[in-house]
Amino acid sequence: MLTAQHISVTLDNRRVLSDLSCAFSAGEFWGIIGQNGAGKSTLLRCLSGLITPDVGQVMVDGENMHQLDPLSRAQKVAYLMQEQEPSLAFSVYQAVEMGRYPWPDDPDNRHHITEQMLQECRIENLQNRSILQLSGGERRKVEIATCLAQNSDYLLLDEPFNHLDVVYQRFLVRKLQAISRKKSVVMVCHDLDVVQKYCTHVLMLLGGDCYLSGDSATMLNNAHMDKLFDEPI
Amino acid sequence: MQTRHWLQRPWVWWLFLLPVLLFSLSMGSVSLSLDQLFKPDTITYGIVWHLRLPRALNAILVGGSLALAGLLIQNMVKNPLADPYLLGVSGGAASCQLLVIMLGLTVSQAALFFIGFGGSLLATLLVLKLSYHGRIKPNKVTLNGVVMAFGFAAVISFMLSLADGQQIRSMMFWLMGDLSFAQPSWLMGVLLIFCYVLLQRQHSALDLLARGELFARKSGVHAERLNLMVFLMTALLTSMAVAQAGTIGFVGLIIPHIVRLLVGYQHRHLLPISILAGALFLLIADTLARTLLSPVQLPVGIFTALIGVPVFLVLSRKI
Repeated sequence: MLTAQHISVTLDNRRVLSDLSCAFSAGEFWGIIGQNGAGKSTLLRCLSGLITPDVGQVMVDGENMHQLDPLSRAQKVAYLMQEQEPSLAFSVYQAVEMGRYPWPDDPDNRHHITEQMLQECRIENLQNRSILQLSGGERRKVEIATCLAQNSDYLLLDEPFNHLDVVYQRFLVRKLQAISRKKSVVMVCHDLDVVQKYCTHVLMLLGGDCYLSGDSATMLNNAHMDKLFDEPI
Repeated sequence: MQTRHWLQRPWVWWLFLLPVLLFSLSMGSVSLSLDQLFKPDTITYGIVWHLRLPRALNAILVGGSLALAGLLIQNMVKNPLADPYLLGVSGGAASCQLLVIMLGLTVSQAALFFIGFGGSLLATLLVLKLSYHGRIKPNKVTLNGVVMAFGFAAVISFMLSLADGQQIRSMMFWLMGDLSFAQPSWLMGVLLIFCYVLLQRQHSALDLLARGELFARKSGVHAERLNLMVFLMTALLTSMAVAQAGTIGFVGLIIPHIVRLLVGYQHRHLLPISILAGALFLLIADTLARTLLSPVQLPVGIFTALIGVPVFLVLSRKI
């Protein structure tokens, strides 16, 4: 189980999250929704161990996230960033292979899993291209494949559908749904229809220290929607 | 991405390096045949073992160190224009050593080496300290390094304008880089090998770091620790090279770019090939510098630029 316990985060003197608690288990597919600036990405960064909260703690399978070394952290949690910084001209294959970095003791599977992920994410035809020459959507597919190659128990995705065409969006959300049967998938998503249709649980960041979570069927009702759309952050 | 696979193999580069080394040993104000090289009499033995071989080894070590330092610093600050001297190294060393030359102090070669080494290391640590806010911020390193370099340039110009003619000539040689004074330093050889071995163990972490610090951290790299280690290594390698041979420009800037074009972007290949290519490049440049107008010796820095610029321009057009 991945849990945030009463976490508060302040960035540049602005309180972004205060006293937020949530818990994600295997078999759950979570959608995090909220207006821009509500703190969705900050929450994901906390959960992946990239930011240490000022107050409270993040626990993963009974261990404190911030006492784990980076390698074991990455073995537990894979994190898809909202935007990837531009970088050197690695090939698509090399980029996806980087997802295997947390598993140095498993060199036999390295190529096998890399190739499998290229296939599963339908980008094996791109594998020798440079990542700098790809279109925005193609690059997004590579980032997703890299995350999946990490083979972690918890998958944290920040707006995974950015830049993707509709066909691939539908393919991806079904794939995530399938993955969430065994693992825990948490995604920030602005498409409420997708969240309603596929996610089992919802976390709403409503601003003003107001957080609501629960299973999606009961959460996505009119009263909550009004709150989500009308309340200023 | 047309990487040449055979160029990714280090032994291929050793094969380039060895004949160039033999050529370099046989060329000079006294030309020697291969026969004389391998069956030397007393005079040629002296020339080869006491003059040419030390200088060639020096070129190999300095070239390798500068190229490795350039590769590292470009990776750290994500700026293709970065070179090892970005950290304020050259200015620190040059200021201290020039001060000694200008004051007319007679110090031994070894002492001059350590004065330069100390000056450059101090300057580098200052830049790193100024760029440290909980962790080293690469973009701050770039800015602070450039600003510090301007400061040191002013100090150096000030000293040059006060120096007399004879002093200026020896200072100019030093500022352009010169391999003729120093004996090869074993310390430098050990340091280069030590850095290489440590870095080679971290080659995939360096690949991840090249894609951004956040990406590296989320993928499981201890980025703060790696950053610190790599910056310190860059500082040590460059300080050592500058103390040994002055500020030889262009090797640290251009060799990593050329090697990336040739062998791709993975540090697995970049680390060894950069060192070997830097060594090869500086050995060729220095051989030309001392033989082209022999017995007149020219500053090697002229040739690193004269060879490096066209080679790079041709390669970057082709690939």
